[in-house]
Amino acid sequence: MLVTPAGLIKQRKSGIGVAPYAGLTGIVIALASTIWLGFYGGPSQIFGGFQIDLFTYFFTGVLLLVSLFVAISSLDYMKGDSNTAPYFGLLLLSTLGMIVLAASMDLILLYVGWELMSIPTYALTAIKKKDPNSNEAAVKFFVMSALSSALLVFAISMTFGITGSTSLPAIASSLGTLTGDTRSFALIAIVMFVAGFGVKMAVVPFHMWIPDAFEGAPTTISALLAAGAKMAAFAAAFRVFIVAFTTVNIDWYSTFAIVAIATMTLGNVAALMQKSFTRLLAYSSIAQAGYVMIALAAPFTANGSPLGLAGGLFHVLNYSIVKTAAFVAAAAVGTRLSVSTLDSFNGLAKRMPQTAFNITIFFLALAGVPPLNGFFSKVMLFTGAVYSPYSWGGYLAIAALLNSGFSMSYYGWLIKRMYFDDPADSSRIKEPRAYTSVMWMATALVFIIGLYPDPWIRLVQSAAASLLPTH
Amino acid sequence: MAIPTFLLGKKREGLAKILGIGTTAVVFGISLIIVGLYQYGNPGFQLTETGQWASTFGLNYIVGIDGISLPLLILASLLCLLAAAGSRDMISIKQPEYYALFLIFETGIIGVFTSLNLILFYVFWEIVLIPMFFFIGIWGGPRRKYASLKFLIFTYAGSAIMLFGFVALYAWTGSQGAPSFDYSTILAGAAKLALPFQVAASLATFVGFAVKLPIFPLHTWLPDAHVEAPAPVSVLLAGLLLKMGGYGLIRYNLLLFPAADKLLWPVFTAIGLITMVYGASVAFVAQDMKRMIAMTSVNHMGYVLLGTFTLGSIGISAAVFQMFAHGLAVGMLFLMSGYIHEHTGTRNINELRGLRGKMPTTTLLLILGSMAAMAVPAFANFISEYQVIQGALSANYLFGFAILAPALTVGYFLWMLRRVVMTPAEGAKNEIHLHSQLILAAFLVPLLVFGIYPAPLLGSAIKPTVDHLLSVLFPGGR
Repeated sequence: MLVTPAGLIKQRKSGIGVAPYAGLTGIVIALASTIWLGFYGGPSQIFGGFQIDLFTYFFTGVLLLVSLFVAISSLDYMKGDSNTAPYFGLLLLSTLGMIVLAASMDLILLYVGWELMSIPTYALTAIKKKDPNSNEAAVKFFVMSALSSALLVFAISMTFGITGSTSLPAIASSLGTLTGDTRSFALIAIVMFVAGFGVKMAVVPFHMWIPDAFEGAPTTISALLAAGAKMAAFAAAFRVFIVAFTTVNIDWYSTFAIVAIATMTLGNVAALMQKSFTRLLAYSSIAQAGYVMIALAAPFTANGSPLGLAGGLFHVLNYSIVKTAAFVAAAAVGTRLSVSTLDSFNGLAKRMPQTAFNITIFFLALAGVPPLNGFFSKVMLFTGAVYSPYSWGGYLAIAALLNSGFSMSYYGWLIKRMYFDDPADSSRIKEPRAYTSVMWMATALVFIIGLYPDPWIRLVQSAAASLLPTH
Repeated sequence: MAIPTFLLGKKREGLAKILGIGTTAVVFGISLIIVGLYQYGNPGFQLTETGQWASTFGLNYIVGIDGISLPLLILASLLCLLAAAGSRDMISIKQPEYYALFLIFETGIIGVFTSLNLILFYVFWEIVLIPMFFFIGIWGGPRRKYASLKFLIFTYAGSAIMLFGFVALYAWTGSQGAPSFDYSTILAGAAKLALPFQVAASLATFVGFAVKLPIFPLHTWLPDAHVEAPAPVSVLLAGLLLKMGGYGLIRYNLLLFPAADKLLWPVFTAIGLITMVYGASVAFVAQDMKRMIAMTSVNHMGYVLLGTFTLGSIGISAAVFQMFAHGLAVGMLFLMSGYIHEHTGTRNINELRGLRGKMPTTTLLLILGSMAAMAVPAFANFISEYQVIQGALSANYLFGFAILAPALTVGYFLWMLRRVVMTPAEGAKNEIHLHSQLILAAFLVPLLVFGIYPAPLLGSAIKPTVDHLLSVLFPGGR
């Protein structure tokens, strides 16, 4: 059943002159069929290494939405570029990789999805061949990403070595009976998994490449990396840790808690010092990854319901919508003003009123101001942390809340620049339809989810429940 | 009850001004109907309205009022109406945006005073924040950018800490059965909370409310925000936004953590005492009339903190009444400072000498407004401040020091009046319009009515609720 959307994507990737529109139609059809299947697809099914459950549908939907936003805004961003057809082909291929990653229940398949997702993005990052920044970003990104793949392979082989299987449920059952010697191997495997996923999830201390890569890459591709690739890596991490490693007698939860606190704190503090808008978004995305990490640190409440996990999935959805759209806004400003330093945002409300308004909504949503969508997922995550069976849950929630409060300082500062400061040049700038349509779609979703979150909370709760092993 | 909340739908028209003021008038009308429907003497929640919102996660739409929220609801709708009417003269740029934000603000503030679900309360609490940020930042004075950002960061950080207290309560109800954010569920189990938990949650929520109130070390955003905001917005800030803090202290901090109250009340009351005296002392040295009025708020909100944590019926009732009275008195003074600034070009107290030559009627209103703020008998402020101190004295005779604060208040107001009013008349007559005078006079009506005959509000609405809640929470007395 996954093959339906996935196949559609593949089919469309080879168009030439009409490539962008063919790609766009492919994504729309895939998204529509995912939503349809999500409602009527029945109980979860297993196809070889694929597990097609609500969790898969959920992530497929989110990732396709991200890729849809990226594709629409690329219509304008890639205008006049000779590489348009390969660009859209690679975009779809990478999206397919992310979907495979989210659906795989087998470590080998997971690795295939991982590479399928990563390799096209190397080329996409470097697609502006004549731009040295883009090339530098691509090299940096490639080195880090290749390292993460290597770590992942190591972790997979280690896991196979101690359990004799690459299927996640099988690993779970054999990890439950670990004894002395092999336990240390399991520990190494966990560390390697954390590091491998961590590079793509951009958690401290594996975050260094993010700001440079996001700044150098084409801004639309930064959106794909920040929302798509990152969230697909989270999907894989959820699968591996929640399905396979819950049985092992090693406390990896507190590790994730420490990583989460470090990630959100570093992201927020560093974001305050940035002078460029894309770098600010990059650090803010690091901080947001820290919030999602809470779902790995405290997935279950004391009475066993997956509240933290559901909150994490909800935050994945909200974050993906908002962050993609924020990068699209950055692309809109960057292409029209040719610089994206924060100074060029002074008085933006007078020059590009639609963009400024939408950025304000996105930033308030990222800061977690109710009644926008980001608030509810954050509350679910924080509640999950407090309500977790661990004694450090309260401290994790306090750290996250303080961070959330602190993050308002740079979000508010930029809103202040856009609305209260005077621009150096107050001429109106034309806002291209491709960007504004994405931004308004995202804003509409922000309000729809924020004002009536109930159906979405039900969705993520069912998705979280479908992830859990039934044994 | 939900009607005022959802009135915001219509906004942003060419006729924004009429629509804005009209909507606030309709909301005030509805609040008068609510005043009529309210059953006096009944201590529980009334006129409640429930709805499903995100009930899978314990979020329900529950609103209702009791004796504590009734006065604040009236205050909110009245001040919004008067401030919107006052905006007519003072806001000339970007009117559609202004009135749209104004109505969002009103939605938020009424929601804060009526919601009975912790997260719903938090949502409304934050909804108030964003319009206020833009009010100060776009329509404010010369230092508006700094003031608006400072306001946003202070209050947002404060509420984030407060949210921790709420989230912890959710987890706690989960350990007792079904987890819930509903106020009445949590209130019913409040006595069973473990003491360390109560202290932690009480301190967390206290920080959030204390920033808004504000109390002494956390008040520094207030003078900046109040001085830079346009005058009608200062009315909302001092008249309503600070009351959110006071209301939160009573509704959540005091009532949900009874054991922590018994432990922490000396700390909280001491902070209240310091805030009272500190606010009054700083008001003495203010040269700017608006800054002086802003510090009056710090001074007077200290009474609310002191009264609340005397843990006695008199003190708590008086704290609620004090919020009502102070909101009106300080709202009037702020709006007046705006008019004076527009007509004389200055707010400096020394430069305003001989004001009665230019604006005789306004000068009369200034004297009356100052009398209200000084708590001269016959104004509602006298009753509330007197009772706060009475309640405090019955808790501990050391609170006799509290008498210092009203003495200082009278001192700086009289000194201001001596410089502004009791100087030879100067300048040609340049009086404000009749309708502006009427707006200012409208603030005095409820102050005098309830100052002379407080029983309908204090005796039959506030007190039954407070007595009832205290008898549940502190069965053996303090």
